[in-house]
Amino acid sequence: MNKKKFILFPLLAFVLSSCLFDTDDDGLSNWLSDQGMPSSYKVQTVTVGDLKPVSAEVYRDTLPDQAMVRGLFGSVPGSSYDAVLDYRLDKFLDTLNKADSVKSYLHLRLLDSYYGADYVPSGLFPIEEELKVHVSWIVSEKLSVAEYNDLDNVTDSVWFHELESWTPKHSADTTITVSLNRSTNKNGGIVADSLLTIDMPKELVDEIHKSDGYRRLQIRLSAPEASHVFRFYGGAYTLYYPQLMMVAMGKKDYAKSFAPIREATIYSNREECSDCLVLHGGGRDSLVVEFPSKPIMKALSDFYGDNFPYVEGDSNDVRQAVVMAVLTFFKDDSKGSQEMNMPIFVNVASYLDSADTSVRSTERYRVNTLRVDSLGHPNVVFYKGDSLSLQVTAGLRDFINRASDGRTFKMSMSLGNSLILDKDTLMYDRTVSKADSIRLANGDLIKVASGDTLQVLFSDVDYARYDFSTIKSKPATLKLWLASKRGEE
Amino acid sequence: MKKFISALLCVSSFSFASMIGLDALGQEQIMGGSAAMAGRGFAGNAKTGDAEGVSVVNPARQAFDTKVSFNLNFLFDVSTADRSNSHFTKTNVTMPSMNLTFPLNDFGSLGFSLWQHYSASMREDIHDVEEMWDAEIEYQSSVYELVPTYAIRLPFYRAVSLGASAHFVMGSFSRNLTLGPDNSAIAKEDAWATNSSEVSDYVSGDWNIKNHAAYYTFAAQYRGRMASYFFSFTTPYTLKNELEYNLRFSELDTLAPNRKTRTIKVPAMLATGVSYRLDKRHHVMADVAWRAWDRDIENVAGSWSMSQVTKTQNDFNISVGYQRNGSDVFYDSYWDRIAYRAGLWYKSWYVKDVSEIGGSIGAGFPLGRKGMNLDLAIQGGVRLTDDDRNWSESFIGIRLGLVGVGNWGKTRGQ
Repeated sequence: MNKKKFILFPLLAFVLSSCLFDTDDDGLSNWLSDQGMPSSYKVQTVTVGDLKPVSAEVYRDTLPDQAMVRGLFGSVPGSSYDAVLDYRLDKFLDTLNKADSVKSYLHLRLLDSYYGADYVPSGLFPIEEELKVHVSWIVSEKLSVAEYNDLDNVTDSVWFHELESWTPKHSADTTITVSLNRSTNKNGGIVADSLLTIDMPKELVDEIHKSDGYRRLQIRLSAPEASHVFRFYGGAYTLYYPQLMMVAMGKKDYAKSFAPIREATIYSNREECSDCLVLHGGGRDSLVVEFPSKPIMKALSDFYGDNFPYVEGDSNDVRQAVVMAVLTFFKDDSKGSQEMNMPIFVNVASYLDSADTSVRSTERYRVNTLRVDSLGHPNVVFYKGDSLSLQVTAGLRDFINRASDGRTFKMSMSLGNSLILDKDTLMYDRTVSKADSIRLANGDLIKVASGDTLQVLFSDVDYARYDFSTIKSKPATLKLWLASKRGEE
Repeated sequence: MKKFISALLCVSSFSFASMIGLDALGQEQIMGGSAAMAGRGFAGNAKTGDAEGVSVVNPARQAFDTKVSFNLNFLFDVSTADRSNSHFTKTNVTMPSMNLTFPLNDFGSLGFSLWQHYSASMREDIHDVEEMWDAEIEYQSSVYELVPTYAIRLPFYRAVSLGASAHFVMGSFSRNLTLGPDNSAIAKEDAWATNSSEVSDYVSGDWNIKNHAAYYTFAAQYRGRMASYFFSFTTPYTLKNELEYNLRFSELDTLAPNRKTRTIKVPAMLATGVSYRLDKRHHVMADVAWRAWDRDIENVAGSWSMSQVTKTQNDFNISVGYQRNGSDVFYDSYWDRIAYRAGLWYKSWYVKDVSEIGGSIGAGFPLGRKGMNLDLAIQGGVRLTDDDRNWSESFIGIRLGLVGVGNWGKTRGQ
């Protein structure tokens, strides 16, 4: 007991004495300012005008793309999309071979998530088109059962590589009539006649009629003269897959439907002007622009009175950090074209150093709420105004940090999603709490009921075309928000 | 091993409480910081006993130990900084040292100490809406030493011993200032860009000695019937602090750091002390340690408006103390078996115009029948300063020391 008291008394004294040592409200902040320690970082803005790129080049990813979920075919100004379907034909060929005649057609079901979407612009319909479809195909030699089974194991990458040199022995044209219209009921939009039926050309049917055993059939559909890109359900959908129907006709008809084992979309650029900086929507093109170091370094030197680039120690500049960087270009929407009549975001990425290599990193977009509320987003094309302001914060942060090695500032741009609500500051889909009428970016007025989902971005892409050639001729302006460590001492 | 001990110290210590010299070396934990020493005002490096154990200032002392001893120390501390009408208080918990000695009879005595020599520590959040203060300040620096010691009594003159120790220095430094934006210098319509953009000025690095593995202390001790003396010399050394300066937006979003090494030339230290036995079990003692700093210390600073250097001065420590040893006869009353201690010290810091006056009382409580001891010391004092940056401080603290004494390796009659 005694021993315990010995320890308890001093502890009690200690606790009591610590109550006497109190802190006043601004004691710590006074102490900090006496130490010269910061309590906040000072934000300063620097504007660099008259920036001209040292290079600007468009890169197009024309490798075949996997299309088991969402197939495409058709064309828009400047680009076209072909669908390639890979089928495995089994012993039913023997039945076809013995039949008096054969009939074959392909069912493509158009994608409800696009054509039936609530926010699809009213102006898109009706789509009435006499569509000339160019069909080319490759029917393989007779396959053994093992070879037939092995077709399952062909990887997409191997197949895509083969598709790059597509050399069909035969091709033929066929025509279909597309007539899409839209009506709405309480469940949302419904597209009439969303099943496209393409009769296989006679030459293809004849070739199949003559074939027997196990075979592989690859079909490529092109519609370069189409005025739309048609989106259809891919082979991954067990109910809506692209059905290749084969009918053996004779005394009695036998029919079988085949599902593709793999599918691809092949994108072709059809721009005639090779110097133009034209980007196509759909995320396959990017425009890489490189700006020189000198004017940016000079503007920083003028502003801070320090040497830029920084070359002391290991030359990494940590005297300041870029909190925000906005690059503003001149914009001219008149040379572009689009499907949906909605503004389209320009996605930006910068080239950053990471583990001694350069990586392309997507820039985060920070919303300027007040501006969006009154003028809309600054980083969209097909929208009012003559400027395009892109945020390149991470890129400039890295560039100024390591500018001593003489690097240039390099960024890339691509066309992103369409914007349904152009003055929405929240940038996320949400549930509507009360019934309202909402004005969309394309001018449509829609009614929403309580519990409906309000969508900010359109879920499908617009296969638009946009000409950024003015980037080469009209200078850009860079505005930097900087946090600086510079002090008095 | 180095990493393990580093991690152990990081977890176990928040270090000492003083806010003076944060950007230089921090506060020095004098004389190894054991609770027994602290109880008698950090005096008594010359005092020998059965298990006085390792002295980082006087490695020769342990040659007179006859028993194995283990000692672990803790410090709880409240410190208040004040200037004119402003003051603020912070509390700390630390583990300044642990010591181990193995007497080997005719072969001398081996010892080992883990000592947090200098450290700086602070962690505060400030949110002041009116003044636009919005910051988090975090300092975590500790220079600690692994100190193997060896001492032996002269075979021909048993009253004198010689000792030496090597101080292997390691440790880490980090400073993290997390700051919110101050938009006063930009146009109002530009303020959107910095919303909730916190920036951290992050500095981190390691401590070690430049060009050498360790620095060394050599000591000689005389133990008389009534009086004991020691004298020690500690070699000068250059501390090297390899730092990386960075600005971070998050732990994953940082700049490429700028590397910089600061060096601190720590001068040689001379120390001496005497312990005098007044009467049976009553001892008085006095110690002096002295170091002549001739160069300023380069600070961590890294701009803002912080001072680039800390000016230095001659650094010395004078202490006087008293101890009444507890009886080691187990059937004596408990009160009699307690060791009582008291002391005073005056320390001139290495930081210019900073001095410290402190006093302490302490006691050593035997736990159980034999071999275990709990040392308790209550200390208090003031650190007086004479410049704008450093504020004066008053402090009060409790030190606890756990001591284990054993007869390992001894045969009957030894």
